[in-house]
Amino acid sequence: MGTAEPLSQAGYAEAVKAPGRKRKNKGETNLAGYLFISPWLLGFFLLTLWPIAQSFYLSFTDYSLLEAPVWTGTSNYANIFSNDATFTKSLSVTFVFVLISVPLKLFFSLMVAIALSRNIRGMNLYRTAIYFPSLIGGSIAVAALWRNMFGLDGYVNQVLAWFGIQGVGWITNPDTSLGTLILLNTWQFGSTMVIFLAGLKQIPQELYESASVDGAGRFRKFVRITLPMLSPVMFFNLVLGVIGSFQTFTSAFIITKGGPINSTYVYALFLYDKAFKHYQMGYASALAWILLGIVAALTVLNFLASRYWVFYESDGGKAK
Amino acid sequence: MRKKRSSVLALTGLTLLLAATACSNSGGGNGNGNGNDGGSGNVAGANEGGETKAADPITLGMMWWGTDERHEATKNALALYAKQNAGVAFKPEFMAWDAYWQKLPTLAASKTIPDVLQMDAAYIQEYVARGQLEDLSDIDLSGIVDPNVVENLKIGGKLYGIPLSQNAQGIAFNKAELEQYGIALPQKNWTYDEYFQWARDARAKLPEGKYPIGDSTDWGGYNMYQTSMGKDPVMADGGKKFTLDKDLFMTYYKTYEEFRKAKIVPPAEKGAAFLENDPQADPMASGVVMTRGATTGSVSALEQLMPGKVGVVNMPTGPSGGGWAQSTIFLSVSANSKHKDEAKRFLRWFITDKEAGKTLGLTRGIPINPDIYKDLEPTLAEKDKLGKEIYDLSVEKALPFYSAAAGFSEWVDTYNKEMQAVTYGQQSIEDAYDKINKMGTELAAKAGS
Amino acid sequence: MTTLRGKLSNHLFLTVFSLLMLYPVIWWVGASLKKTVELGLPTIWPSTPMWENYSKGWHFSGDYTFAHFFGNTLLMELGNVAGGVFTAALVAYGFSRLQFKLRAFWFLILLLTMMLPGQVTVVPQYILFNKLGWVDSYVPLVLPHFFGGGAFFVFLLVQFIRGIPRDLDEAAKIDGTSVYGIFFRIILPLIKPALVTVAIFTFIWSWDDFFAQVLYISSVDKFTVGLALRMFIDQFDIQWGQLLAMSLLSITPSVIIFLFAQKYFVEGIATTGLKG
Repeated sequence: MGTAEPLSQAGYAEAVKAPGRKRKNKGETNLAGYLFISPWLLGFFLLTLWPIAQSFYLSFTDYSLLEAPVWTGTSNYANIFSNDATFTKSLSVTFVFVLISVPLKLFFSLMVAIALSRNIRGMNLYRTAIYFPSLIGGSIAVAALWRNMFGLDGYVNQVLAWFGIQGVGWITNPDTSLGTLILLNTWQFGSTMVIFLAGLKQIPQELYESASVDGAGRFRKFVRITLPMLSPVMFFNLVLGVIGSFQTFTSAFIITKGGPINSTYVYALFLYDKAFKHYQMGYASALAWILLGIVAALTVLNFLASRYWVFYESDGGKAK
Repeated sequence: MRKKRSSVLALTGLTLLLAATACSNSGGGNGNGNGNDGGSGNVAGANEGGETKAADPITLGMMWWGTDERHEATKNALALYAKQNAGVAFKPEFMAWDAYWQKLPTLAASKTIPDVLQMDAAYIQEYVARGQLEDLSDIDLSGIVDPNVVENLKIGGKLYGIPLSQNAQGIAFNKAELEQYGIALPQKNWTYDEYFQWARDARAKLPEGKYPIGDSTDWGGYNMYQTSMGKDPVMADGGKKFTLDKDLFMTYYKTYEEFRKAKIVPPAEKGAAFLENDPQADPMASGVVMTRGATTGSVSALEQLMPGKVGVVNMPTGPSGGGWAQSTIFLSVSANSKHKDEAKRFLRWFITDKEAGKTLGLTRGIPINPDIYKDLEPTLAEKDKLGKEIYDLSVEKALPFYSAAAGFSEWVDTYNKEMQAVTYGQQSIEDAYDKINKMGTELAAKAGS
Repeated sequence: MTTLRGKLSNHLFLTVFSLLMLYPVIWWVGASLKKTVELGLPTIWPSTPMWENYSKGWHFSGDYTFAHFFGNTLLMELGNVAGGVFTAALVAYGFSRLQFKLRAFWFLILLLTMMLPGQVTVVPQYILFNKLGWVDSYVPLVLPHFFGGGAFFVFLLVQFIRGIPRDLDEAAKIDGTSVYGIFFRIILPLIKPALVTVAIFTFIWSWDDFFAQVLYISSVDKFTVGLALRMFIDQFDIQWGQLLAMSLLSITPSVIIFLFAQKYFVEGIATTGLKG
């Protein structure tokens, strides 16, 4: 086991095809499987399915919320694709946001998780302190704080001034506002970090011990043990990071309101405005389903790529 | 096998049990939902004190936004009504402004807007146009509200909201600092030309980093300019008529362009960071800008941030007047209400009853009913007096309050964003005009068809 | 093995980093004690602390104190966490270890439900809950947690369970343990760190979920802390001192829970007797 074979076997698809090794009585495993997933299945049919189906239907209507929906066929979709400059703008803002913030947050939170996974006295206090920014989430205090830091006379510019650099109004400059939001998003890396932390703790210590016996150094252990053993969790954080970032809303909503000049007008905020501010729920529903299509496509790509780098202890690594 | 089955049962049982506890957990109170029978809390309780029990008691739902002071006063007023009218109870629901307008569309969609709801001039057109509000023209307001006021508030010839208080738009200024720098204080009924000249003069006397006036990017500011110069409002006739006067538009924004260069208004980056009534980011309270727009209803918040330093003046005027002075906050009745008559009776009582007036005090501004206001006048606090002052200064020259027509909320956003692009120097005034004008004309054509 | 110098530099680094992350708390504590007029000043600490921001904020509502709202929220959280953790584990075990028809299909559906922005399902959902008579109760807030706790947590636990070697199951199977026995006796104990993660996130995220709470709760006696906090904010008028004071208090349960739940991260699974 000392030399785990990472990166080779077992993608998701394979796992789906052949999870159980012994073919047992089919009906029985079917029953057990459905029993276990029944809470979700029940909830899906009772609470989730109808609203989702409804929103799909509404995407083909003109619906102000205040009046009954009127069927308009595919005209919402046609309008979105043919003459809505804001759609293009908000989609590109969102892509930039996802492309930068997802990898940045993954990297940063993994590094911090590793630093915090050691058993040092007082570690629980450090962890709590470092998790703190993620606790305050979308609170009003965050908006005030962020203005304090990145305003024209904020702390960041005061520090820059020591080095003779004239700062800008980071939040209110259209060139830097999105970057500031990405930074805020990265600063709230706590959840991703905690998931990494739990993943790190799940790696059996014996693997490291036997690797030490084999004379492996720190870096080698990281590459040969930590990364492959952590890959399912990393995969999770990546997939969910992409899904979540495409729907990023709160920070833009409370800090920039999408401005200045739409520079932080992320897709979910655009959609929210359409639905609840401009009373165009039908149009907003169409926007939502387009987003679903984009995110689903990217997630499928993620799953396809995962078979080349995600390593599942339960599927591979061991001889049959 | 036997063992297996029993654990299957155990598993299912456990899930059900958990689900069941969830329900009982949560239904803690009277979980009978939105029904009008869920008499809630202390207000309905007051009903029990009534002497007779009417044959079929009804519960009126009522929803409003506001501060805690307003909530307490309103609850007390409702208790008072319930006491005076046996058989009527209330189900009050109150929240802050943002939450209110987030929630209301969803209530409309599920047809569960309460019988009585507070309305704002900025939103009423949208809700009227979509048939959500009941016509209240048959409520007799003679002797309570000035007939001209009532006439002004009508939408398509009908009254959809009972006005509650007086409001007006004016300008607040930093009296303390203007005096310190030897700048003349703004005078009542100044014209736009005087306003602009005042700003130029003040610039010369102010130190760097301080600005006499703020930039103007929103449609409301320009609309007041256009109407005060004698032209039609941007949107008229429920959005069917759209007027964006190119000459006035160019003059107005060219002036601000000049001001931006001359540092009479703050640079775009600074301007975008302002957040009114925020202790750190308010343009005036932060000491950066010497003036800003303020209304009767909002000036008290500013006064709390910079006590004793605020002075007020009316909006700049043109040949046909300037600013506005009228009620912007109303009580309406939902078109889906099952108790419309009772709701209307209650609405009339709400602005007529002396006792109610005393209970409600100034929590919704200066009461529209002069008799009630007379009783309250001696209780006016310093912050309320400023609001009253704006109203008194504005009323002589006031034009009507123009809110965005139904279906124009997105145009309003577009206007503000296009003009923001102008302030940031990313687009010419002319280009912005073309885009805004095109979109508005199209919307008006749609509304007219 | 670690040298004293290494230890010291570790602590130094962690302390500096923690302080950097804690800057907002320090700012927040100071601001919560300020008078409104002082909030505009760049100083961190007020000239004279206004403790009454706390006492007034606590008693702001005529009928209830904040203790009542904390009680409401904790009650709701109890349901959320209990329901979420247990059912998410069940569902995740089903998806990761058992073979059944259409498994891949259902898993795909599960993921898809996460990708549709909630803004467009909230209205139909409200109409549904309203028809069921659940508006102005905690049911719409709590019940969804009992159906697998949401796709995020199911997927998270699936990934953790798939990281556990199958030998353990196999060995148990040979000993005649049923799939249910394997779940309760082998899988559940092994994914404890992940379950604690689910519990913490459920707690923190539902504490924060203002949009759902404002929609479904309308009576003051059922208000959550999040809803009570919004009472300090109106269109123009914001009670800054009380707002900052009470919102600072409002995050303390989350902080305490995070602080105490940590030992479960620290205690890895190495001790549970895996053979190398």
